[in-house]
Amino acid sequence: MEPGKSDPANIATKQAIELDACIHCGDCTARCSVAVAFKQIPNPNILPSEKLAVLRDMASGKKLPEKQLRIIQEGSHICTDCHRCTDVCPAGINLEDLWFSMRDILAQLGYPKPEVWARDRMGAHFDLTGLKAQTLSLTPVDRGFLGGLGESAQASTFSVCFGCQTCTNVCPVVGTYEDPQEVVGLVPHQIMHALALGRRDLALGSRMLWDCVTCYICQEYCPQGVSVTDVLYELKNLSFIHLKEKTE
Amino acid sequence: MMEFALFLGCTTPSRLKAYESSSRAVLGELGVTLVDIQEFKCCGYPLRNIDFKAFVLSSARNLALAKKEGLRIMAVCKCGYGTLKKAAHLMNENSSLREEINEILAEEGLQYEAEIDIMHLLTVLYKEVGLAAIKDKITRPYENLKVATHYGCHALRPSQVTQFDDPVAPTLFDELVSITGAESIEWPMKLECCGGPLSGVNDELSFSLTDKKLLDAKKAGADYLTTACPFCQIQFDTVQDHHIPSILYSQLLGLCLGLDKATLGFDSKHTDIAKIEDFLAKTGNSPEE
Repeated sequence: MEPGKSDPANIATKQAIELDACIHCGDCTARCSVAVAFKQIPNPNILPSEKLAVLRDMASGKKLPEKQLRIIQEGSHICTDCHRCTDVCPAGINLEDLWFSMRDILAQLGYPKPEVWARDRMGAHFDLTGLKAQTLSLTPVDRGFLGGLGESAQASTFSVCFGCQTCTNVCPVVGTYEDPQEVVGLVPHQIMHALALGRRDLALGSRMLWDCVTCYICQEYCPQGVSVTDVLYELKNLSFIHLKEKTE
Repeated sequence: MMEFALFLGCTTPSRLKAYESSSRAVLGELGVTLVDIQEFKCCGYPLRNIDFKAFVLSSARNLALAKKEGLRIMAVCKCGYGTLKKAAHLMNENSSLREEINEILAEEGLQYEAEIDIMHLLTVLYKEVGLAAIKDKITRPYENLKVATHYGCHALRPSQVTQFDDPVAPTLFDELVSITGAESIEWPMKLECCGGPLSGVNDELSFSLTDKKLLDAKKAGADYLTTACPFCQIQFDTVQDHHIPSILYSQLLGLCLGLDKATLGFDSKHTDIAKIEDFLAKTGNSPEE
């Protein structure tokens, strides 16, 4: 049976049987490529053996609260599709296909890939539309931000940005659009500037974070040594922390 | 001794088996010994958007495993290579992070220590095996073949961390192509992104970046594009309309080393790359200087 070729109804039946075939031996979790992340992100849904139990609840039509769906979404996407769980399952369950189905169900419930979900949610929380017409206050919204973003020294390098715009000018994403700000919100040098001003809202609300292709050209060419790409990475991490707090 | 712990990552064995089989075959032919460490897991790259420490932890764990075996590590993936290098850099420069991560690693009896050599398939070929030794083994060089090299962002940049090659004017990959007898062409978008990292996040933008690059290579007169990363290869090979076919460097080299096509993965389901055989010299001489 193969997705895309076999009758979807037959695949659904097979998957329903597979959910009941799990004996919770834990072999999948022992072999899982990303299980180590659980030590830093204590979400049991990262672990295949635990994810399966949740999927059983979801498949039975059980209505789950928003907070739980978000946790399932996080766990469900911390997966590299490496196929190891499926390779070792003694019950012969095609776990990988189950994870794909699970992500489909989550997307239908409004919980797609975390990056897509965060981009839309953050955009809604920090609305940047009509920004060009606004007069911005220079009063920092978040003074705590001025000392750095927290996790590492590289993330505080935005403070030495002198606004030359090289990062923005070399960015292939910015270069794709006629009017980049209309699409991505703040462009890279503006994000560095927003951080220096303590305008957390502007930095976190920019779609640029999620459209960044992580090619590191901006960082390579920055004459001031600002870790532009790494700052964007850490802003994405902060967005997830922000959204976690919002749904708790 | 040329011995490395082979870091395949997740994507190569699950989605691009031809890269694994062709890399093993080529390195075997060139006298490089590869050691498989079963406990190697995710390099941490997919966690970078989500959680900084989870990424460093995943990465450092692999480095600690290689160190425990007393081996240098060789990645085949540019993202895996860049991520391992990045994590090593962060662990080396930040002692509180190192302590925190090592505390978690200690639960598995592991410890990250500095001075671990992280290499990529291309740097192993270039710096360890060497161009002359590879050239000696070439039995059927290419003739009249124009190849566009795709370097891959995460190996090249940030150069201070990755130390792969000159980030502005790299030559390593071009030299590796030239020894096969093929011409490595100059093309304007050589060092740009393949578009892969945005696949599934912003497909329209991802496709647009890929498309621009492929068209640019074609315009510069390339017959083939060559890659040394599963993400870039999959992006060029399966995502786009084929303006130009893409071949893995391990396949490109393997063929003129006289290795078996099935081992090199020429029968895989993606782009038809078999036509590249038409460019092989009819005689068995080495390419001219």
